[in-house]
Order: sequence, then C-alpha cells, then structure tokens
Amino acid sequence: MISFEPSEDQKLMVASVAEFVRTAIRPKIRDFERDRGLPEDVRKTAHELGLALAALPESVGGAGLGLTTAVLLEEELASGDPAAPFALGGPGPFGLAVVELGTEEQAKDALRPFTEAGAHGRFGAVAWGEPKPNPDRPGLSTTATKTADGWRLDGTKAYVLNADRAESFVVFAQVDRDAGWNGLGAFLVDARAPGLVVLDRVTTLGLDAVSFGGIELSGVTVPESARLLGGDDFTRALFRFFAKNALLVAARGVGLARAAFEITREYVDTRKAFGKPIGHFQAVAFTVADRAMDVDASRALVWRAAAAWDALARGEGDERSALLLTAEAVAFAHEAAMRCGDDGVQLHGGAGFMRDYPVEKLMRDAKQLGLCGMTAEHADQLAAAVTLGVPIDPGLVLPTPETQNVFV
Amino acid sequence: MAIEFSLTKKQLEMREAVHGLAKNVIRPHALAWDRAGGIPEDFLRNMARLATSMGSNAMTAGLGDEGNAPEGERKRGMGGNLFSVLASEELAWGDPALLLCLPGPGLGGPPVRASGTPEQKKRFFSVFDGMLDDDKPLRWGAYGLTEPGAGSDVAGIRTSCRKDGKHWVLNGRKCYITNGARASWTVIFATVDPALGRAGHRAFVVEKGTPGFSVGRIEDKMGLRASETAELVLEDCRVPEENLLGGEERYVSKEGFMTAMKTFDNTRPLVGAMACGIGRAAYDYACEFVKRNYVLSRPIPRYAAITERLARVGRGLEAARTLCWRAAWMADQGLPNAKEASMAKAMAGQAAIRACIEAIEICGAEGSIATEHQLLEKWFRDIKVYDIFEGTGQIQRIVISKRLISDLKSF
Repeated sequence: MISFEPSEDQKLMVASVAEFVRTAIRPKIRDFERDRGLPEDVRKTAHELGLALAALPESVGGAGLGLTTAVLLEEELASGDPAAPFALGGPGPFGLAVVELGTEEQAKDALRPFTEAGAHGRFGAVAWGEPKPNPDRPGLSTTATKTADGWRLDGTKAYVLNADRAESFVVFAQVDRDAGWNGLGAFLVDARAPGLVVLDRVTTLGLDAVSFGGIELSGVTVPESARLLGGDDFTRALFRFFAKNALLVAARGVGLARAAFEITREYVDTRKAFGKPIGHFQAVAFTVADRAMDVDASRALVWRAAAAWDALARGEGDERSALLLTAEAVAFAHEAAMRCGDDGVQLHGGAGFMRDYPVEKLMRDAKQLGLCGMTAEHADQLAAAVTLGVPIDPGLVLPTPETQNVFV
Repeated sequence: MAIEFSLTKKQLEMREAVHGLAKNVIRPHALAWDRAGGIPEDFLRNMARLATSMGSNAMTAGLGDEGNAPEGERKRGMGGNLFSVLASEELAWGDPALLLCLPGPGLGGPPVRASGTPEQKKRFFSVFDGMLDDDKPLRWGAYGLTEPGAGSDVAGIRTSCRKDGKHWVLNGRKCYITNGARASWTVIFATVDPALGRAGHRAFVVEKGTPGFSVGRIEDKMGLRASETAELVLEDCRVPEENLLGGEERYVSKEGFMTAMKTFDNTRPLVGAMACGIGRAAYDYACEFVKRNYVLSRPIPRYAAITERLARVGRGLEAARTLCWRAAWMADQGLPNAKEASMAKAMAGQAAIRACIEAIEICGAEGSIATEHQLLEKWFRDIKVYDIFEGTGQIQRIVISKRLISDLKSF
C-alpha cells in the first residue's frame, strides 16, 4: 500500500520533539553556536525523549522504532538546529556501525553504556577518514597488524564526528594491504586505550556546535573479539552502514531545508519593496515555489528509502533497491538543502548576510551537512552502480581519502 | 495509516500487465504511428478493451475521472487516482500518444462529471455506450479552453456566448484541442462579457455537427504526432440551452469556473506520471546503452561523468514520481491537493525533459537516430509539451506560490 500518512504513534513522537525544538532548541541556536556544543540539560531532555536510540533495534538495547520513525524525528530536530542531532549525546554513527558490522553480542555489549544512566553524556564515534590518500597503494593508510591475541592499530584518522567526546570508537583500518578497498577491517577501540591520542577539534564552516576532529593511533592493541567482521560479507555490511548513516544525515538535511524555507517564506511576506511584499514579485514567488518543491521532494525520497529499509527488516523487498533509494534520497536532499540555504540568504538580501538572522547559519550548515555521512557525488556513484548492475566498488562509491573525504 | 510505499498485490499485477502490454504490443508500433500521424482504430479498440478488462480507469473512464466522481459515487480509499497514476506511467513508457488517442470522454469527462446535471451526464456519457463493439464506431470527448490569445491566462478567453431564445450563440476559436476533430462533443468555455472576468464564463457541451461548429487546422507538432490536435471554430454556432453545463443557476457564482479548474487537481498528477513514464523510457534506454558500451568492456575515463549524469536523472525521476504518487494519494483520500498536484506536474515535466536530453547526450550520435528500436529522438520530441500542457511549469509555480505567500492574488 502507498500511504504518506505517519501513524498515530509517529505523530505523537514528532509533536513532542517539535515542542522540545520550539522551547529548548530554536531560541538557543546562536548560544549553541557560540558555545560550540549543546548544554547538558538540553542533551538530557533529548535523551529522555529517546532520540539517541530510536533507530537501533531492540535486540541490542535500542528503541526498535525503525528508520521511518527515525527520519521523522531527525527532520523535526534538525528543523530547530541542524547541529543538534549531531551534537546530542548517544551512540550516533557508532551505534549504526556496530549493529551493521558486529554480531548481535558485540553490538549489545558496545551499546550497553548508552542505555544506562548518564547516557546523555556519552558519545560514540566512527573513525573512517584520513588526512591524506595513501600514495603507495589503494586503501586506508591506517593499518591493523595481527598480533598473538588480537590486532595492533597504527595511523591517523581524520574528519571524525565527536572525536573529542567519544568514549568508544569504531576504527577502520587496512587489514589486507594487497586487497585495496576490499581489504578493510573495523575494530572497537576504547577512547582510553594506550596509544590513542585525540587530536584538536577543528573549526568549520558550519554546524559550529558539532565537534569534528581526529585521533592518532600508535600501537593501539585490541583483542580479537574487538574486530567487527560484518557477518559473511564485510563490504556489503559497510555499504549498509554508510547508507543508513547517510540517510539519517539526509533527514537532517530535510529539516534544515524546511527551516530555511519557512524562515524565508515569512520574510518575503513581511519585507516590502516598491510598495508591496517582495513575495508578490514573480521572481521571488517562483523561487519560493521551487524551494517548496525541494523540501517536499527530498522528504518524500527520504521516506521512501527509510520505508525500504524497514520493509527489508520485515523480510520484504531487496537490499539493492533500498541502497538505490537511499543513494537517490541522500544526493537529492543534500543538493536541495544547499539550494534552500542559498536562496534563503538570497531572498533576505543584505540582511541575509548578517548574523542577526538565522538564515546565514543555515546556508553554512547546509554545505557542512552535505559533507557528512556521504556526499551527493558518492551517492550518485552508488546509485549508478546499483542501477547499472555492476559490482559495487567500495573505492568508487564510498567517500574515501582517495576520492572525497567526509565527516562520519 | 503508516508511511508505506509497497504496492498492493492488485497494483503490482496491474502494473506488470500494463508494462507487458507497453513493451510488447505498444512500443513496437510507436515510431510508425508517429510517422503516420495517427493510430489505427482497430488497434485503439483492442487496447481499450484490454484496458477495460484490467480495470484501468486511466484508459477507459477518462483522465482523472475517478477522482471527480460525485461524493456519493466515489468509493473513498479505493485508490482510483493512484491506480491511474501507476497505469499511466507504464502506458506512457510504451508510447505517450496512445494514451491520448484512446477513445472515451478524455479530458472532457471530468468537467461534465463534476458540473453536469444528471440529465447531461446521462446524455453525454451514453454516447460511449457499447462503442467497443465490433460494428460500432469509436467515440471521443474533448476539452476546449485554450484560444489563440489565451493559453495559460484562462480568465482571458474571448470566445463569446449570448442567449438567443432557447439557444446560446457562440463565436470564437479554440486551439490545441486534443482529439478535437474526431470528438463527438467538446466542452467549450466562453464568456458572456470579457469585462466580468471569471464570473462571465460559461461552459457548454458542443456536439459535433452543430451548425456553425467546424474544425479548423489540424496541428503539425514537434512530438506526440500520433495524437490529433485540432483547432475548433465557432461561427454563430447555436448551442441548445440544455447544453449549458450544469444549467443556468450554476453560474450565479464563480463556481462554474472554479469547477473547471478543479479538474486539474486530478489530471495534473496523471500528466506528471505520463511524463515520468517517458522520462523513464529514455533513462532505461541510456542505462542499457551504458551497460552495453562501457561497463562490460573497458571502463573509460568518461565513465564517472556519465554515471553521475545517469544518477542525477534517476533521482530526479524518482522524486517526481513520488510527488505524483503523493498528489494522487491525497486525491484518493479526499484531501485538497491543488498545491501538491502542481508540484508533481512541475517536477515531473522538468525531470522528464532532463532525462530525455541527457539520454541523447549520453548515447552520443546514435541517440539522435530514429529506428524502430531506438526511440530517444521521438521521446525528446514528445516530452517537451509535458511542461506546457495542463498548465506550463510557470503556471504550476503560480498555483504553488499563491498557496505559500500571503494575500498573493496576482502578479
């Protein structure tokens, strides 16, 4: 059946997030930006609303609400501040990574701290990117070397979301040096592990409240049990992780696009020029109409992708079409959010450039957000590979240091 | 209710059946029809029969008819609009002109159903009774709104009507009328006084053979050449008063005009879906071409640029398709959908044009050559009008922005 109507439960959840956004997030976005983070009381309330664990399955301690519900909540939250869903405590991408790449037992253990008291103060992180491509061979420069009872990790990871706050990491490293992008491994690493150094947080164009940084690993050792094998097909599991994570980011992009659109719509109603509201000029009105289509179309695509993953979890449909819909949604949503931010500032004129108005922040955030999870370029390559039925090459479709680094 | 996008068993079966028809029966003739400027009646009769047996309203009852059925007749939740949208995309994938040529009331159906008196509905729809029998001629209805001097600006029509005894006398010209020459009757919009604007508008069902009612030129078009597009001329055309759509009392208010416009809320997602079907045809062809020429042999440096173009087209179509589904779903739910219907149409027209342009570009020289198995150049010609008829892309943006911006009456 085709239906565009959220369930009663979903409507209630969205309404409570909307209320939280209205009272605790939207009035404070410039404070979060200046303080480069969200205060503890806000993170605590978000945690009580169950936002951090919504997308994760019940079997590993998550709320088991499914991705369709998760994207609704992500959009709502991001409509208040696109930085908020990244900066709230919780497992974040780490949770998705351990679920997709680990066994149920590994996921349950790794996620336990995030279900206990004080979880609003805990962060997880995924260390994927690296500062430079490897000049000698395809693949990651960070290496995982087999030891007697586990693995030794060496290398520098960059573009890591919440690197300075995370208690635990999933670190990607080269396991098989001759296998290129098919020779990767993933490892659970405790932030306090000897040899792990957290690098300085970077200053970014947008999403100022979000911490982006890196880690350095010098002879960090982990037991064999810390390796996440990705079931029987590591690369496929890796695609699922990237796709689902990018889909949640895309949902935030929808929230961002909507916020920029709504602010701009109100502005063109009130701002007058040549004796009438500027919205009554066709050049302005058509731009507003185009951006409205962007918001609605990107939301619709995000819903379809999320519903495809949820259907897959019920044993319906196939993974390739879920990947395809996700790639389409991600690429579309990133570009749409950027257009909404850009035109938002444009229709505000000079005022849009000033920090008195929130729209310049949204434009900066839009570009920043498009560099999180997966870029439109990589999503397009993934979509094309699925459509053309060619073997999906991780070196081509995943955002790697060799092609285009992203924040994960 | 829940957010869900899996098709029902009935929808899947219908879609598969219509797709098979489009692929194996319709498409092989598409280029020949395009060159001949028409589709043989026997073929149309067979198609219409098949469509009836599949229960596809898009093909038999007239575009968007289901959604325009009066409250009492419409079975809420039956999903008639969605069903039609799904069928239309598949049919248009086979050949867009066929859909426009199918016998039945066509675009004339919705206004008669929405505004006609019970007597009028009976009289005008009974024209189509039994027309699929072997010994009966096929019949069509048509919709005459556009004039040489008034296209998008519907309120600016100049075709005049004045009451004279038991008749109305109509004078003017209507153009770009689909199936206009072959139609048994055409819904004609005229005005008692252009100064009155919309309040002066009247809609008539003008029957073929009415004295003073004649066919002007048959248009020679860029694409959709198998579909007949005619000019209709009204010279002191005397239309009986019982053919005034809805009867005189209906025009005391502006309602008459508004009902005429309302039919677009159902037809726009359908036209959008057809555009998606044509765009998808071009996209599918380009994907196959790339697979055949690049992927299975040596990857070339241009490959990533081509896949990027393909993916951009693919997601544009998917977004437009989903908006068409949404607008149709809203109509089926009885929700007001004027804005969403315009969004669907505006996005689909552009996404599909983009698909056809890119597909030819990707295929290079071969893409521009017309053969029975290579229809890209035909789709390129066919698709352009999908951003023009049923309201241009610009008109859709007017409809959308009026629903977003406060007190916006006109520009």
